[in-house]
Amino acid sequence: MSEFISYLESHWDDLLELGIAHALVVAVSVAIATVIGVALGIATYRTERPRELVLAITGFFLTIPSLALFGLLISPLGLGWPPVAVALVMYALLPIVRNTVVGLREVDPAIVESAQGMGMGRARRLLRIELPLAWPVIMTGMRVSTVIVVGIAAIGAYVNGPGLGEDIFRGLRRIGNPETALNLVLGGLLGIVVLAILFDLVYVLLSRLTTSRGIR
Amino acid sequence: MPALLAAVLLALYLWVGSQTLDSIERARVNLDFILSATSRHVQLTVVSTVLVLLIAIPTGVLLTRSFARRISPPTIAVFNIGVAIPSIGLLALFSVVWDIGFWPAVLALVAYSALPVLRNTMVGLQQVDPTVIESARGMGMSKLGVLARIELPLAVPVILAGVRTALVINVGTAALATFINGGGLGEIIITGIGQNRQLVTVVGAVLTAVLALLIDYLAGLAEDFLRPRGL
Amino acid sequence: MTIKIRLENLTKRFPGEREPAVDSLSMEIPEGEIVILVGPSGCGKTTTMKLINRLIEPTSGRIFLEDEDVTKVDPDGLRRRIGYVIQQIGLFPHMTIYENIATVPKLLGWNRAQISARVDELLTTIGMDPATYRSRYPKELSGGQRQRVGVARAMSADPDVMLMDEPFGAIDPITRDRLQNEFLRIQSEIKKTIVFVTHDIDEAIKMGDRIAILRDHSHIAQYDTPEAILVDPADDFVAEFIGRGAGLKRLNLSRVNDIEMSECATVQAGADRDEVRRALGETDRCVLVLDEQRRPRRWVNADHLELVGGRSLTEIGLPADAVVRPYSTLSDTLNEMLVADYATAIVVGDDGVYQGVIDIDTINEAVRGMRAAERSRLADRLGEGG
Repeated sequence: MSEFISYLESHWDDLLELGIAHALVVAVSVAIATVIGVALGIATYRTERPRELVLAITGFFLTIPSLALFGLLISPLGLGWPPVAVALVMYALLPIVRNTVVGLREVDPAIVESAQGMGMGRARRLLRIELPLAWPVIMTGMRVSTVIVVGIAAIGAYVNGPGLGEDIFRGLRRIGNPETALNLVLGGLLGIVVLAILFDLVYVLLSRLTTSRGIR
Repeated sequence: MPALLAAVLLALYLWVGSQTLDSIERARVNLDFILSATSRHVQLTVVSTVLVLLIAIPTGVLLTRSFARRISPPTIAVFNIGVAIPSIGLLALFSVVWDIGFWPAVLALVAYSALPVLRNTMVGLQQVDPTVIESARGMGMSKLGVLARIELPLAVPVILAGVRTALVINVGTAALATFINGGGLGEIIITGIGQNRQLVTVVGAVLTAVLALLIDYLAGLAEDFLRPRGL
Repeated sequence: MTIKIRLENLTKRFPGEREPAVDSLSMEIPEGEIVILVGPSGCGKTTTMKLINRLIEPTSGRIFLEDEDVTKVDPDGLRRRIGYVIQQIGLFPHMTIYENIATVPKLLGWNRAQISARVDELLTTIGMDPATYRSRYPKELSGGQRQRVGVARAMSADPDVMLMDEPFGAIDPITRDRLQNEFLRIQSEIKKTIVFVTHDIDEAIKMGDRIAILRDHSHIAQYDTPEAILVDPADDFVAEFIGRGAGLKRLNLSRVNDIEMSECATVQAGADRDEVRRALGETDRCVLVLDEQRRPRRWVNADHLELVGGRSLTEIGLPADAVVRPYSTLSDTLNEMLVADYATAIVVGDDGVYQGVIDIDTINEAVRGMRAAERSRLADRLGEGG
């Protein structure tokens, strides 16, 4: 235990750097996935066939094992950031699309109708009424996506992606030297857990700031 | 779905057949090796999932009994943090503190995928209409009888959904077992990446993806089949 | 009168609550009667009922079932002897109607043929065709049908005692009325001892042989027949709970054949004017025109005869509305009169044949008589007690 603490003290800078890179690739991926996912949700929530198709395809992505997806993506995209970011976006899509659809469909039709009755157009209704009301549900989807993606990003280190997974793989390569290996693996693993908790706190904060007080 | 997967495999076969393979490629991309890696992958998946069922469902049942009402919320809170542990980190940890090979990999898979089954077992049992339970008790069914004949059957759809999730997680995470010498289709992928043989990588990746999708599809069929009628 | 259930100083304190939910309740429930526990919400009536089959274990006090102390016996075995129906019905959604009804007989180890015969018998009793409904699932039934199955399930092992907690509470008023009548019909044949919880005093009056009006902590405010409670509420709490409509509610308690019908002048539809005038006699009243089957057609008086010359008797006068049956309640009869705007209702048999008439004064007198009879009965009882 004390050895691990002294390891943390001496490698604090490295861990912080890896942690920031990890957080960055996750944040960027979830942000991209949110833009795409919410757009897909808006485009399909009213029509059954396209909606089910989009959910089936994004569900299909989530079923593909991450190592396989990285393997398939490095042929066209090479090693490093690009295959990892693309894969993470693909994994983050389903929860966001699904929750966007659910959130929008749960909006009380009476509210939408009264907005219509007040002369709001389709776009304004969506932007001013439906999306704000669906927003907490969409945020929950983003939160679920983030938890999934934080863990998968660790595997991305195998194809030279950024983040704390790097320490885990370094630990695996030093398995002959258990002490070093354990420090490396634990450092990476706990770093990722802490990161996931920090992301969760950010979401709590974000949802306080962005959700109307009337529906909180 | 099966037709689509068969078509993908056929395309893969034709594509590989049209290429000339060097010795590294031949060592991995041959039927014997692929079959043994696949069977290992299936073993990892099935054994870990069965263990998950044996552990998580009884635990979920215990945590929803009235005597566990106090300890179940903190337990769930701990589990929710557990979700944040990355699968590869768990595998690495098991190999470092214990051993490398099949069983450490299986146990890491169990630890990683037990949560959805546990959570769904608890949710499934908790969402059973309390008035149905009350009327069963009122008719003189014992607590055990109510659990076996009313609560568990009514929770089956939710539990099955958790089992399906665990299966998909396990088949995906089993691809990582190779990092701790646990075998499986991941071995083909990492040989391809490590030796810079794209053909090998693609073969391994496609096979892994096809296996995962197939297992998910079969789990979906089982889910429909096992769901009690009347619900 | 045999006592079926006896509660002795029954008390229930829930942990963490200062006041007991049920405070030292003692009552006796006679065999073969429907006893209603009624009271405002939170008075402990449901808790009291659940103490009887020990879904809630009493803190102190004793429960006797036919002189057997069941306070400490195996609760599961006890519950198998007592039918139980709740408002939400609680049918098992994953089991067929057959399996639902068969639950307790299976627990009691009946054989397959016995169970099958019993399920069919019960389905027939509640008016659901066994061939059609046996293998259906609860979700395939209407609310009223589910409620019937719930009652059938409670009766499956032919228990002497049934507990019913607002069994008709979640059903639309029209279906509720039908199910109540149907249940009363079944009860008149099977004569179970029934403890029935409701918050609806009208339901209590309609269904109960005896009503226990409960106030907080399940203290009994009054425990008596509906008639006695309506005529002579024990205190202000009971009077207020019954509400201002007590006089009208009393009309629900007697039926047309309980009171004396009167005759009125009748003529056949084919009769000539002189015959009608003779029937009318010297009065300015109406004569009732009957058709060949002696079914009422029109009310005709002297003025009608003068005004319209050659028309037939079935075309003049006023329609013979406000028709009731011998088993209609006086409340229904009064309602018919008000709707038709006549002071007289015509009583006909199920075949539609004229039997007599009831006018509004008769009803008034009947109510007065009921009150007097009830008063003297109470006086007798008090006299005996003193």
